[in-house]
Parts: sequence; C-alpha cells; structure tokens
Amino acid sequence: MGVIHGDLMTLNIGPQHPSTHGVLRLKVKTDGEIISEVEPIIGYLHRCFEKHCENVTYDQVIPYTDRCDYIASMNNNFGYAVTIEALMEIKVPERVEYIRIIVAELNRIASHLLALGTYGLDVGAFTPFLYMFRDRERILDLFETLCGARLLYNYIWVGGLSHDLPRDFVESVFSFLDYFEPKIEEYNELLTYNKIFIERTADIGVLPPEVAISFGVTGPNLRGSGVKWDIRKDDPYSIYDKFDYDIPIGAGEMGTVGDCWDRYYVRMVEMKESAKIIRQALKGLPAGDVHQALPKKIRPPKGSIYKRTESPRGDLAYYIVSDGSPIPYRLKMRSPAFTALSVLGEISQGWMMSDVIAILGSLDIVLGEIDR
Amino acid sequence: MSEDLDKLISDAVEKALQGDMDVINNIEDRVTRSKAKAALVKAKRLAKAAIAEDAPKPEESKAVEALPAELSLTEKVSAVIAKKFPNTIESDEENSHIQMKGKNWFEIAQYLRDNPDFLFDSLQCVTGYDFGENEDLEVRYNLHSMTHNHAIEIRIKTDRNDPKVPSVEKVWRIGDWFERETYDMYGIVFEGHSNMTRILCPEDWEGWPLRKDYEVQETYHGIVVPKVKDGWE
Amino acid sequence: MTVDNLINWFPFGTEWPVLTFVTAVIICALPVFLFIAVYALVAIYAELKISSFMQDKVGPMGQGVGLHAWKFGILQPVADALKLILKEDIIPDLADKKLFVMAPFIVFVGAFISFAALPFGQNIIIADMNIGIFYILAVGSLSVIGIILAGWSSNNKWSLYGGMRSAAQIISYEIPAGLSIISIVMLTGTLSMQGIIEFQSGTIWGVLPNWIIFNNPFSFIAFFIFFISGVAECNRTPFDIPEAESELVAGAFTEYSGMRYAFFFLSEYAEMFVISAIAVTAFLGGWNSPISGFMNSSGWGVFWFMLKSLSLIFLMIWFRWTLPRLRVDQLMSICWKVFLPFSLVNIFGVGIWSLLVG
Repeated sequence: MGVIHGDLMTLNIGPQHPSTHGVLRLKVKTDGEIISEVEPIIGYLHRCFEKHCENVTYDQVIPYTDRCDYIASMNNNFGYAVTIEALMEIKVPERVEYIRIIVAELNRIASHLLALGTYGLDVGAFTPFLYMFRDRERILDLFETLCGARLLYNYIWVGGLSHDLPRDFVESVFSFLDYFEPKIEEYNELLTYNKIFIERTADIGVLPPEVAISFGVTGPNLRGSGVKWDIRKDDPYSIYDKFDYDIPIGAGEMGTVGDCWDRYYVRMVEMKESAKIIRQALKGLPAGDVHQALPKKIRPPKGSIYKRTESPRGDLAYYIVSDGSPIPYRLKMRSPAFTALSVLGEISQGWMMSDVIAILGSLDIVLGEIDR
Repeated sequence: MSEDLDKLISDAVEKALQGDMDVINNIEDRVTRSKAKAALVKAKRLAKAAIAEDAPKPEESKAVEALPAELSLTEKVSAVIAKKFPNTIESDEENSHIQMKGKNWFEIAQYLRDNPDFLFDSLQCVTGYDFGENEDLEVRYNLHSMTHNHAIEIRIKTDRNDPKVPSVEKVWRIGDWFERETYDMYGIVFEGHSNMTRILCPEDWEGWPLRKDYEVQETYHGIVVPKVKDGWE
Repeated sequence: MTVDNLINWFPFGTEWPVLTFVTAVIICALPVFLFIAVYALVAIYAELKISSFMQDKVGPMGQGVGLHAWKFGILQPVADALKLILKEDIIPDLADKKLFVMAPFIVFVGAFISFAALPFGQNIIIADMNIGIFYILAVGSLSVIGIILAGWSSNNKWSLYGGMRSAAQIISYEIPAGLSIISIVMLTGTLSMQGIIEFQSGTIWGVLPNWIIFNNPFSFIAFFIFFISGVAECNRTPFDIPEAESELVAGAFTEYSGMRYAFFFLSEYAEMFVISAIAVTAFLGGWNSPISGFMNSSGWGVFWFMLKSLSLIFLMIWFRWTLPRLRVDQLMSICWKVFLPFSLVNIFGVGIWSLLVG
C-alpha cells in the first residue's frame, strides 16, 4: 500500500443492502478503495430461538429449527431429529432413513443453487441467478407435493417423518435429476469459467486452512481451503455410510487454494455429488411405515448430548440438555454460518470494496442461522 | 445391615477390578448396584493415580502412552491434565465430560491444543448453562481434533453473582465470538477477552436473557417490550 | 445541413438573422428530442423483453389495467415514464441544492448535443460540420462533469464513490476510443461525418461492401476497441461499476428520484445510441446499403442507419445480461495496459498498410 496514509474513512454497508444476504451490518474502514478493517455487526435477526425452545415441548421445537437456517430447513430438522433420537436411543425404520437422506440432499442442491445464484448477482452477472432460481423452483415444487410447504417444512420429526411420499414422487425426482444434471454444465459455461468471473474471484479472499480450523469454519468453506472434512464421511450419522460419493476439495485450479473461486467451485461440484446420492437412495428405497417409530410422548432421559450433522453451510450441531421432562432444559444450536462470518474480518484485509462483497458472497451466510 | 451392604459392595468392587463384572451386575437391589458401580469408578481412579505416581516422570508425549489403553479419551485427558496442572480437575466421574476449575483454563487450553496426542485444534461449541435460580452458572466447551478425529467436553462452573472464566480467545480464534455470545446471554465475563461486548442483543440491553430468572425489561428506548403471557413464565 | 437549409428557406432570413437562426435551431432540435424520447421508450422495452428472453422469463406481457394492458406490454415504458414524472421530488436536506439540480441537465446536454452531428441519412443531418466526428468526441465528455456533480452534491459517501469511479472510467476510456477514430480518419482523410460515409460507398472486390472495417486488419481491431470503449463510456455492464447495484445501490444517482432520475436514465440510452451511431458511421458504412445497388437510393439511408445502430444496441444489451462486472482496478488496467497500446499500434498499422497496399 502507499506511503501516504490519509485518514481512514469509516463506511457502513448498512443493514439494508442488496448484497448482504440478510440484515447484516458491516463497519468498514477504508483507505481510499483499500480495506483496512471489516467488522461484522450482527443481531438484527435475533429472535431468541434458544429461549423459546426452553418453553415448548420437544416436538414443538421443530418448526423453530426450520426458521433458523431458512434456506436449508430440511437439514436443520434432520440435525435436531438425529440428536434427540441419539439421546433417546430410538431406531427409525429404514424407509425413514432413506427418505430423510433424499430430502436433505435435495435441500442441499436447492441451498447451493441459491448461494451460487446470489453470488453471481453480487459480482454482476444477472442471468445465472435467474437460471438457478428456475431450477430451484422445481425442487420447491417437489417439496410442496411432499409436505405442502415451499420453504419451512416441519417435515422430519423425532422418530420419523410427518408424511409419507406421495404417489409419483420417485418418478418426479428422477425426472428432475435427469433435467438438472446437464444444467450444471450450462452454469459452468456461463459463469464458472467466464474470464471476468475468474478475475473477480480467483486469488481473492484466500483462507488458509490453519486459520479456517482455528476459526471453526466448516463445510464448503473449509473444503475450499483444501481440508477434506465432511461430517457425512468422517463422523457419519443416519445411513450416509451406505452410499458412494466423493468429497470435493479446493485445489487452487484458477488461483490460490482457498480463494473465492475454490469455495464457489466446491459448491458446484457438491451439487453433482448430491444428485449421485439421491439416485442411489431412490433406487434402494424400501417399503415401510414412516410413522411407526414416532414416540407418543418425547421424554428423553436425563443427560446431555452434542451431535453434529452436515448442513449445506457446514457443521451444524445441537447441544441438548434434558432433565427428564418433556420440555428441553437447554438447547444450543451451533450454526456454521456464525463461524464463517467471524472469519470475514480476517480474510478481507487489504482487498478492495468490491472484493468484500465477493468474499462475503463466497462464505454463503444466512442471517437467520447466525442470529437465531 | 449397612455393614453387610458395605462388605457386599467392597467384595463386588474387588472382583470387578480383577475383571469379573458379574458380581456387581447380579446385585438385585438397584440402589445398591448403583452404589457399587460408583465405588468401582472411584477405585479405578485411585488405581490410576497410583500408577501415575509410581511410574517415573515420562516426557510430554509419553504421558498418554503410560496410561492403560482401555481408558476412554475423557479419562486419558483428565489424567494427563491432573498430572500436569494439579488441582484443576474437579471430577470426571461421568465419562462424558471433564469438570474443571476455571483457574488455569487458558494454559490447559493451550496444552490441549498443542499436545501431539490430543491436538484439539478446533473449538466446536461454547454453551452457557444455568443450573437454576440461585444456583451456579457453567460454561461448557466442546473440543474436537481434526487430525485425530476425537472429541471431548469440558465444563467449568462459576459463581452466579460474579461469573468469571478465563478467555480462550487467543487459543482458538472463534473463542472471540462464542464468548461474546455467552456473555450476552448469561453475563459470564471472560477475562482477557479483547472486546467483551454484546453481540446479538443491542449494546444497551439490560439483563442476561438465557438465565432462568430473566425478567424482560419494560421498555427499550421508549418502545414497549411485549410480554407473551402463555408459556413464557 | 438541415439548419442551413431552413435558414435559406425562411423568407425574412436576412432581416432578422438571430431570430431566424434560433427558430431554425429549435425546429431542428425538436424532432431530435422527440426521436430521443421515442427511441428511449423503444430501447427500454427492447431491453426488458430481450433480457427476459435471455433469462427464461416472459417480461412485460400486458396483463394489468390501464396503460399496462396493451398487447405485449408495449405501453409499459410509457407507464414507467409517467410514473417517474409523477413521483415526489426529494432533495436531501444536506445536499448542495444548486449542484444537485444542475447535474442531470449537464449529463443530458452532453448526450443530446452529440445528436446534432449524427448522419441519419444522405441529406438528413442537422449540422454537417467539417469537423463532425471531432465535435462529437469533444462534447461527449461533458457528461462526466454532470456525474461528478451528482456524486458530490448528494452528500453521500456511496454516491461520491460512484461519481469518482465513473469519472475515472469515462475519462480513461475516451483515449482508446479517440485513438481508434484517429486511425480511420487517417484512412478517409476527412473529419466530416458525411465525408467518412461517402468514402465507404462502393464495394471491395465487387462482393464485400467497402466498409472501413473490412478495409484492413488494423481497422478491424480498431472497431472492437472503439466499440468496447464505447460500452465503457456508457457505464454499461461489464463496466457498470459506477452504478453497481449490488454494491453501491445506484452509485452516483442513489439520491435522485422521479424526473431527475429519469433524466440520467434517458441520457444513458441516448449515449448508447450516440456510440452506436459513431461506430456505424466510422466503421460500418453509415447509411450505405450493405449490398450495393439494392435499396440504395437516398430515401433508404435512414433505414440502413437505424438498422445498423439498433443491432449494435442489441449487442450492448446482450453484453449486459451475460457478463459479470469488472472491478474498478481491473477496468482501468484493461484500458491503460491493453487498449491504449493496441490503439497506438493500430494507428501505425493503418498508416503503414495504406502506404504499402492502398
């Protein structure tokens, strides 16, 4: 940077802004166009989810978990259900496991489509955003036939599911996957390998793996930095260990390992892998009754449990303490986007204003999850 | 009667220490059986301490190898810490967590992160916990190792009226935001933190929301804070 | 030409020269203003529809009441214009009022007066100056002042950023544009718009039209450099960093509402047309027909000119909806490190080629 240092200008990328993915305030100190400090200020969407959960019963908590990470509600429900089932040692039927994985992976594709589309919008490409949302609409239509809701499902319950699959769900999902997989090539051509996009994102916002681990960053952000860590493979829950899929990691193909392009590309490849998992799950879907193992009254034994699951943003974990009553005593949700946002100040120093927007977009945050 | 019971318990414990768990498991009365199991755990701990004292002082990485292999990770960690930082472990009777005193927590955290056998390089979650009105507060840390793929939980109790816990912000960088959140919700002050301010609630909010005896304030800057009657009290 | 014709036609032209002159100018300027207004409406509608088709949408479809209800939503831009006129005119309290009010007019003037020298047809040009193209390049830079004023007077850090970026961008990209024009001026030997177009009549080898773009490979490159620099001067994507929606909301124009904002909008479309028109004149043959002898009479000139200009505008719209946007320093480095050397090389190339070959 230059020898002459004027006064630093403090700018506010305010809570209302087209690119902050929710109500987030960034206090930015700049020297001309170069950033010297970024401080994220959160709490605008804080609804005290944890206090609410201490006043309702265990099954009434599930709609609240939907609303935390509203883009990937199925995965939130999944994490919560898996945690309570581990605490109560309930074994769910095979069919339930398969359906849970199918909907969780479909929701992962939908969430990544949103993340990538809005990221394109942040760097100025208007068209991929609309294409990705068009495909996301098809997934939301599938979910609507499944449980009646487009965004906040309340579908995966403790011990089972709320509804069984409708009559032609399996064929619809197969036809969606046949339609969708060639589209990924289209997105690659339109945006991923576009020279201007690469200039905007390669070598920008490099996140070294040690910094990422120290900041607790997980999920595609960590995998973009080259660390092969995925809860589905390294600490499997449900029946993820029965399927055959790869974990993509960032390899610095266009610039340095751990830059924005890597994180973007990891998400793009993950969609392909999720499609693989869904196909395998659909082929092996057994018959059964999804309401069979639903407990009449959820009263976990006294104790505490900490269980991690893989949401599209990273390592989503619930820490639940039960005192034997039907109401949780303490419920803490460890959200992956919280840790991802905390690393923003660290990796955006020295870049320019437009780069801060690009870096923020590549971290893929959802304020509902950060503020709870 | 109680003497017979004591003798029964000590016999069962001795048999169990030699590897025969049937005697304990065959005790019919539930209370007695649980007492026997508790006594077994205590005896095991004393045996461990005896082994540790007898053996010559090993080097750092050999500390773990000196322990018998069938100990769980929690027990291994607590044994090593108890030796290196005496008088900090309160108990580890339950196998799920280590209960610690707060006084050397910063050094212990650094040790846990750097010791090559443990390498807890990732702080997964910091949870505040309230035991009830007029009871203590507690901070619970879930640590995890990326390289060894193992995890432990550490709990530190602190007094309700003046809650203070050393900060581990410099050990794991995410401690910064996690501790600010715990401060915001419970009022626990983390000593050594560079920016101990509220993170989720506004800066001038009153009260510690997640405590069990929290009363919501009446107005905030002139806006009436609504109270939900059902299910809130 | 047309102003001169009108002055000669007035019966009392010699007695009241000033009044005659002013009347002639107003009579000639009105059609241009109407043309810009109509063209802007058409361009806005075209942009909406073309972008919708590219994005797998349908765009304005005429479902609605009143003006929105015509077939295919053709009156949608009219409804937009009316809405903007009727909006409340908000001037921020701490803004510098005189500059705030003046800025849109300066920007519009810069785009509007360039229309005076555009050759719409063989005899349809308002002022056939013998320094035509030089004049257009000169007055096209006026809009920069307007943008800086807009950014500064809004009393808003974000507008200031946008204004500064925009000024830097437009001024920098004037240079490759001007140098490309110089290379073709060398070929034709005249600065007059009609003269350049007349140079391009006829054919090469009887098949290709004698357009400058086919004349020699250096002028081929010069066309691309000029066109891309022109897109940058209009602040269109991929160079729309000054009004980057996702970062600065609307850049220098954030605080403007209602009719003032409409003026900025209008001048952007007018500027697009001017750039296309210059590109068509200088490189693509102006009002000459591409197939010699076919539809070549003087009446068809307007048709060919409009067709070529509108297809270049279509290209600009296509760019906007396909490409992401460049960052400011990347923008500037492309201008200074890539376009400028190429345009200098072009000048030499064109000269040497004409010496050796032509």
